[in-house]
Amino acid sequence: MVRPRHHWVVRVTHWVNFVALTIMVGSGLRIFNAYPRFARRGETFCCYPWEGKRFPEELTFGGWLAGARNWHFAMMWVLVANGLVYLGFIYLHGEWRDLVPRRGFFRDAMAMLKFYLFLRRDHPRQGKHNALQRGVYFILPWIGLMAVVTGIAIWKPVQLSVLTNLLGGYVWARFWHFISMVLLVVLSFVHIFMVFAVDPWSLRAITTGGYDERNSPEARNARPFWNLFPRKREKMEDTDDA
Amino acid sequence: MTLDRRKFLGLAGTSLSAAILSGCNSRGPGAAERILRYAERKNEIVERALFSHSAIDAPPAGAKLAGNALPGYFISRTVPVWDETERGKWHLEIGGMVDRPLRLSLEDLVAMPRSDKRVNLYCVEGWTAVAHWTGVRLRDLAALAGVQRGAEYVDFESFDSGYHESWDMESAMHPQTVVAYGLDGRFLSPTYGAPARVYSPVKLGYKNTKYLTRVMFLSNRTGGYWSDRGYEWYAGV
Repeated sequence: MVRPRHHWVVRVTHWVNFVALTIMVGSGLRIFNAYPRFARRGETFCCYPWEGKRFPEELTFGGWLAGARNWHFAMMWVLVANGLVYLGFIYLHGEWRDLVPRRGFFRDAMAMLKFYLFLRRDHPRQGKHNALQRGVYFILPWIGLMAVVTGIAIWKPVQLSVLTNLLGGYVWARFWHFISMVLLVVLSFVHIFMVFAVDPWSLRAITTGGYDERNSPEARNARPFWNLFPRKREKMEDTDDA
Repeated sequence: MTLDRRKFLGLAGTSLSAAILSGCNSRGPGAAERILRYAERKNEIVERALFSHSAIDAPPAGAKLAGNALPGYFISRTVPVWDETERGKWHLEIGGMVDRPLRLSLEDLVAMPRSDKRVNLYCVEGWTAVAHWTGVRLRDLAALAGVQRGAEYVDFESFDSGYHESWDMESAMHPQTVVAYGLDGRFLSPTYGAPARVYSPVKLGYKNTKYLTRVMFLSNRTGGYWSDRGYEWYAGV
């Protein structure tokens, strides 16, 4: 039976975030390409092995440096406002309980990992989100916060020099801003991969809200690309939740 | 027309990919231009609210001077050089809404109280460079000329093919905003804007007009070379 899974506020903020983040990353890469290294002029930078290498233009957004900057500085408000609406909502409405790691997180995460690596036969029973998902959904807002704080630090390195210096100065703040983007992109791609490879039904749940628990990865005992493996259906009662 | 799930997904996928492909490396939809301009105006309000004269730029003690690694930049086809035989001796004019318009030679500037500071240069491209600038604080020049009430903007003009950029008054009066004639202990070379240029760490590099000829105090904003071409006008750091 199809039951509502995500509140409309969560669904709207999810897709607004998708658009805003895509534009922020694309325009950010365009800005990065204007000076694709971190070193101060006349110095070298210790910790970025690809100094001088640009990202392919096709991955960028904004057309040119000024366009990318204008998009970046407009979309940042959408990203932050949307993020605050989302966080405020899940705090007031109680959804945060599904997203904060609970007791036994590492044990549960190991169980999921073992299942994905075929070291365990049955999908652990972990509710709406499994421990690995919880971990990622919990850490994403923190990386988002890091992106925003480091972004402010390189936007206003003189007027807000206290903040910039706290992050190690302009050069380092710019590096941390880049790293937070990389983390967001990597986790987003893992997220998207898992949606299509494990639970495509969640795409409907995050759009129109409806979800049928009979299709849940837990019910289907689904690993990535579960549909390519021979089905061995087991009765739920028999599963051992060790 | 009915749409089964398979067709719908196909159609949705195709149109989404088309939207993404057309978005890539484009300037974005034209209607968005107006929204971006609106955001820029709102950002300026926030940036002006954040702005303070007591916020002072100080590069880390260990940072090296950029020296020759500091990029030179101009819009003319060749390095602009003030030709004395053709144009006479160089002077800096200070005019507009002032009680006493000034015409200062390089010697006049050098004779004034000087600011001698090692500061960061923040480029719109994302790089920074540490350099040692010597010059006269613009606030001192403004006091000397007697800037009138109602002057809200300052336009910095050059002999580099009409390059100019206008600023808000508050940024121009920041203690680190100078008319610089020296770089790293020597007089400016033509590459870096000789005989004098604006320099301030509170504005992005392109706002700091090189090859300076005139400083005009005005009641209205007059844009600028890059600000008229899509870059932010305020460009505060």
